[in-house]
Amino acid sequence: MGIVSDDDAPLWKVRGFVYRRFAEDARPPTVAQVAAELGLGADDAARVFRELDRRHAFFLDPGTLNIRIANPFSAVPTDFRVHANGRSYFANCAWDALGIPAALHANATIDAACAESGEPLPLTVAGGRVTPVTSFAHFLVPFRRWYDDMVFT
Amino acid sequence: MDRWCRSKDRARGDVLPIATVWDLSRAWYDNRLSDEYRGRSAAKVQEIFRGFGLTSAFWALDGDPDAPQK
Repeated sequence: MGIVSDDDAPLWKVRGFVYRRFAEDARPPTVAQVAAELGLGADDAARVFRELDRRHAFFLDPGTLNIRIANPFSAVPTDFRVHANGRSYFANCAWDALGIPAALHANATIDAACAESGEPLPLTVAGGRVTPVTSFAHFLVPFRRWYDDMVFT
Repeated sequence: MDRWCRSKDRARGDVLPIATVWDLSRAWYDNRLSDEYRGRSAAKVQEIFRGFGLTSAFWALDGDPDAPQK
């Protein structure tokens, strides 16, 4: 993401904390929790959250400081539930459903379904492999448009 | 899939085997939880996609290859 200056250090400290907490808790921390844990003032934490949202480090619900998406994790229920490390997460899409075990370096079982028929299409990640290999994923939006509307994507 | 696309009035996108999506997810997310992660440039994104044969216009980026991406 380009050259990082010393001034960016607080941003990345917050980013790292958010991702670790999301992985540990299966939900994102609030801006108040981040401020308290990292010793930031409320205004500074809010500023950092907005800047990380601008940089696509994660995505806030519009008009709020609530994290909606920190890829591969979703803060809201979705059709992709991922069970790993004794926790259950929501993923944003099929790619992110596999991204969760990839990010956690863990095995996982994934609850997914065919978007057209609703037929359950569970996946398992174990030993570095995904099964069944007969499944496939449809990417609707061209990559260059993904960030136009990350929720839709 | 074509029925679903028609029902949504959307053009079909790209379809990848799940094993490819898994390999791509590992390349994409392997270090996502690391404190050292800083996102990646458009050039790096394209390099990853090329490594998986994703060279069609669907996977292409616009603009400056050194511009910050995800």
